[in-house]
Amino acid sequence: MELLPLSFFEWAETTYLGYIGKTYGGVYATLGQSIHLMSLALLGGTVLVADLRLLGVVLRDVPSEVVTEQAHKWFRIALIAIVASGVFMAAAIAQKLFYNAAYWAKMYALIAGVLFVFAVKRPLLKGDHSQINPWVLRIVAIASILVWFTVAATGRWIGFS
Amino acid sequence: MINEWLLQFAEWLYATSGSRAIEQSYYLYNWIETTHVLTVMVSLGMLIFIDLRMLGLAMPNVSAVKLANRLNLVMMIGFAVMFITGLLLFYAKPVYTTQSIWFRIKFLLLIIAFINAVLFHRRMLASGASWEFDAKAPRNLQLGAAFSLVLWIGVVTTGRLIAYDWYQCYRELPQWLSVAAGCVAP
Repeated sequence: MELLPLSFFEWAETTYLGYIGKTYGGVYATLGQSIHLMSLALLGGTVLVADLRLLGVVLRDVPSEVVTEQAHKWFRIALIAIVASGVFMAAAIAQKLFYNAAYWAKMYALIAGVLFVFAVKRPLLKGDHSQINPWVLRIVAIASILVWFTVAATGRWIGFS
Repeated sequence: MINEWLLQFAEWLYATSGSRAIEQSYYLYNWIETTHVLTVMVSLGMLIFIDLRMLGLAMPNVSAVKLANRLNLVMMIGFAVMFITGLLLFYAKPVYTTQSIWFRIKFLLLIIAFINAVLFHRRMLASGASWEFDAKAPRNLQLGAAFSLVLWIGVVTTGRLIAYDWYQCYRELPQWLSVAAGCVAP
């Protein structure tokens, strides 16, 4: 199910962003795709460092509160960069995306990921982690890894569909 | 001469059944590529975090040496998967990739990044651990970390550009670019 009407995607392609991305392949590939991939690396890194710590795989001798807090700081920066470069790329091929099932799968996964981080993970992990059932921490970490890998994988499949 | 050899090798690879099987399988090829991209989060994700720590931009209260050592294994697992999937992607399209200027630049950048990483590691060990709780690493390690970030931005960008055939041999190319891309006169 589409979240926005086709007219919105038609309009997006007529904007200045859409024009730049469509006209200059080099700008699309570097400012769009390359920044999107580097932001993905950063975003994935912050998610994995925090979640692997919650799972007790890495940095076991550093308090998980510290790791979570620092990772979240960079997660927000990565999210802004990835959304900004994503919007730029999407504007250039907006009409094609409207008919692309992988694109909508990614949007749903992204919304799920953002809601999960800001409505579940952050509020839960703000306090003292020793007060939380260790299994809850593990489940949160696994869910977080799964949702962000799903966002990345569905994102890559936009190009194959 | 070297371009002829590389092309012959690529053509030989192309003729093998495994290469044809991967390229012709929609799901296999695309899942190998997806895995290659997903492991960016594991390998480069850890690398960026370590580099940011050296530059004093992440986890300033955590020992830099400890962070680098603890994230190293996860990072290496990521790089191993990335290397294997990268080899398979090359194997699926050996002629196209051998004659891609972007792939050639990426390969050079990877070699430089590898040397930089080895030097960085050596310098980190040689420096002792006296600074490990400082917010920033010593200047030479900071330079190494910043250089590593720049190199990997280059690797990712040129890696992404391989998909674009703007400068492939079947295009009109200036002489120098034709040689650099490995084009061989028929």
